[in-house]
Amino acid sequence: MFSDSFLRQLQLLTLVTRDRAHGQLRGAHRSRRVGTGMVFADYRPYSEGDNVRHVDWGIYLRLDRLILRMFEEEADLPTYIFVDVSQSMDHGRNSKLDCARQIAGALAYVALLNHDRVNLAAFADGLREMLPTRRGRHQTGSVFSFLAGLSGGGRTRMDTALRRYFSVPRTRGLVVLISDFLDPAGFEQAIAVLRRFRHDVVVLQVINPAELDPQLPEEVVLVDAEEGTATEFEVTPALLTAYRDTFEQHASAIEGSCRRFGWGYARALTDAPFEDLVLRSFREQGLLR
Amino acid sequence: MKFLGLAAGPAWLLIAGSGIAVVLLYLLKPSPRRLVVASTLIWQRVLRERKHKSEKLRWWISLLLALSIALALAFALTRPEIAAVSGTAEDRVVVIDNSPSMAARNSDGSTRLKNAIDRAGEIVRAAGAGSRFLIADTMRQLPATGFEPRAIALARLQSIESRAGTPRIPEAGRAPVHDGTAPELGNAADSPANPLRVWLVTDGVAPLQPSAETQVISVFQPAPNVGITAFDLRALPGDPRRHEVFIEVTNAAPAPAQVELLLSGMGNTPVSRVLRVAGNATSSLVLDISGFSEGPLRAAVRAEADAFDLDDTAYAYLPARSRVRLALVTPGNKDLARALRLLRHVDVERVSIARVREPGRFDAAIFDRETPSQAPRVPGLLIAPARAPWLALRTDEVTDTRVERWEATHPLLSGVPLRDVLIDRATPLRTSDESIAQVDTTTGRADIRTGLEVGNMASAMALTAVARGPDNEALILATQGGRRFAVLSFALDASNFALQPGFPGFLANTVDWLTREPRAQTQQLGLVRLPLSGARVLDFDGRVVPTTEVSGATLFDATRPGLYTAVARDQRSRIAVNLLDSRVTAINVSRLKPTDPAAATGARTPGMPDPWTMLLLAAVALLAVEWWTYHRRLTV
Repeated sequence: MFSDSFLRQLQLLTLVTRDRAHGQLRGAHRSRRVGTGMVFADYRPYSEGDNVRHVDWGIYLRLDRLILRMFEEEADLPTYIFVDVSQSMDHGRNSKLDCARQIAGALAYVALLNHDRVNLAAFADGLREMLPTRRGRHQTGSVFSFLAGLSGGGRTRMDTALRRYFSVPRTRGLVVLISDFLDPAGFEQAIAVLRRFRHDVVVLQVINPAELDPQLPEEVVLVDAEEGTATEFEVTPALLTAYRDTFEQHASAIEGSCRRFGWGYARALTDAPFEDLVLRSFREQGLLR
Repeated sequence: MKFLGLAAGPAWLLIAGSGIAVVLLYLLKPSPRRLVVASTLIWQRVLRERKHKSEKLRWWISLLLALSIALALAFALTRPEIAAVSGTAEDRVVVIDNSPSMAARNSDGSTRLKNAIDRAGEIVRAAGAGSRFLIADTMRQLPATGFEPRAIALARLQSIESRAGTPRIPEAGRAPVHDGTAPELGNAADSPANPLRVWLVTDGVAPLQPSAETQVISVFQPAPNVGITAFDLRALPGDPRRHEVFIEVTNAAPAPAQVELLLSGMGNTPVSRVLRVAGNATSSLVLDISGFSEGPLRAAVRAEADAFDLDDTAYAYLPARSRVRLALVTPGNKDLARALRLLRHVDVERVSIARVREPGRFDAAIFDRETPSQAPRVPGLLIAPARAPWLALRTDEVTDTRVERWEATHPLLSGVPLRDVLIDRATPLRTSDESIAQVDTTTGRADIRTGLEVGNMASAMALTAVARGPDNEALILATQGGRRFAVLSFALDASNFALQPGFPGFLANTVDWLTREPRAQTQQLGLVRLPLSGARVLDFDGRVVPTTEVSGATLFDATRPGLYTAVARDQRSRIAVNLLDSRVTAINVSRLKPTDPAAATGARTPGMPDPWTMLLLAAVALLAVEWWTYHRRLTV
């Protein structure tokens, strides 16, 4: 799926979350729990039953009081990667689904290397396929196989898919949502679902350049690949300008929502070099470190 | 609304068809290309706002534009007539007076004819849409045509030039322009039911008589003019070698004029005279031109601010004056010999009848009671000829007769009174008209032979009587064409003609007529008719003048005064063409009262084009709008 050099570069990266990790297992992310760790957190008086190894004996000698030293515990990061496999993602040259697969693979690889738990789900008008939690470097193969086996089809209903996925209790973690966000129901419902479960979210909007600047004849009937509906109209410069404005407004609205809730957001153009996208753009956007 | 290009039915059909065709074309437009895209979500958002508003609107605007273009073109093809826009269609006849006086210059330098053409142009342009025009001229310069469109009529106006001749208003259109029989111009059959109006644009100098319905537009402006109104060349009585010329100069302006007269010819310095001619008066003088030798003679007058050129020059031709070698064939006639001795320019030699035929020896001959058996080679005077095969037939002898009437203007009898000539005995010859009349009245076979004989003789020697007796007998005859012969039907000793004081003059005239080159014909400016078949006409500078041959005569158009030479086989004749018309020289006498100028040109907004032109322009403008809007996607 990736070249060796690219994988070696990915080994140096870590997923960034703006929240403390809520993982139950030890990992590389700071958590809210206090316990064994390397980073000093606070002092507190000794109480019965505390581990005497955490007593600060220097303070006892000076103050004649038993004071415990507490450290932040480091936990793993539950990572939920959602890949949109609707028909709109799998249309034409430079398929957005291919791009989404690669992004998901790269991020999952980074997570697995950092001992984070990785959950993968493919959705369209519902949950299409899911990969149960994987942890550890040795799971890379199964993750890549899962992604390679994804095929496109169906309409886009993000909110339905997310609501169904999170209907089961899930540890709070990092949600990576990879989609073109061409959902007739709108993206707001999906965002509301994610907010409800208080996950840290990174939104990756995959865009085909043909959607940004469509090249159409003067008169055309456009057929929606998902819905099958036909729309006839005459393409005028004014209409093209209006389209570009509307598309930009659509993307800006998604980005605006993400920024408002403190989420990460990035655009991935399918014709852009993928390695640049991951190694430079995602790092610049603060998705990777 | 009327349609001039089509009948009403087909016109409306064309308009409706154009509209329906455009609508059908819009409804039956080919299907656009189908393209499958990932999602039309964004497009639908865009179109939700725009399609319902602008797409439908664009379609309708586009359809309306196309409909407007098609209907404008269809209407233009039908050439509608809208009275409120461009007046009523009429058939307009405009007659331009292009008689010579119209060439007079006005104070601003333009001519009356130029002003007339301008005024006629206003009349044509002021007519309503769909009007038709017939342009005519009083000198019949323009060919006979029917009613024509405006553009052609305007172009035809510009081709009119001033011509000399007899002006006349042609019959035109469905109604005669002035009282006459059938129309000369125009075609009544192809005319729609348009009202007919007739204009005459003139200076009023030419004697034209327009009908009461004709609207007269005057372009008359007073102009000074001095011109030659008479120029007459003649030999002095008794001495044909000397000539004098009579010149009459007319001042057509009310103010007196100082006129410089210059007479020029061959072989002598020009003669110059300064005349002071009172206003509206003439001055004449006689000049001896014996100093000039044979050739053209030109008189010219020059006065200050002269507005009319055609009458400023006049031409004549001075004939040759060499000695004449005359053969006299006579049994003896003292009176005749004595009279011939008075002719100083004639060398008389009495010879036998046979020697007259010696080639190149004599210029003319007189046969006194002697008749050659064959026609002589030189012209001659036959006195009491006997019967001869080459001569015309003789009639019965008449006795005790006298000259009752004669043609005093004939060159033979110029200055020769015959009132007292008494004749004891004469045997007249038949003239050519008498011979033909006899043939017409003959019915018997024997008479037919005689008639043929008479006819042949008449063609060989076509005689005309210049002096007749009481019973219409031809006493003195002369040939009409070909070699010249004069005939006295009586012997001198059988009359007292030789004793008359005019007898030497008769002999001088006869010798002069027999031997001299024919005097130059004098003709008026305009169409000149020469009784010559296939003649080539040269002007004064030797250029060939275009001619037309009509039934044995040659016609040519003399537009300016000059001396022309006509050559036909072995015949040569000179034609002096001059204006010499005091009625034309009087360019300040306007006889016609102009019509009210306000109503002259007819009602129409100046500069308003025809409706079909406006429709065509509108279609072009709409096409430009359609092109502009289409390329900016404002229309579909």
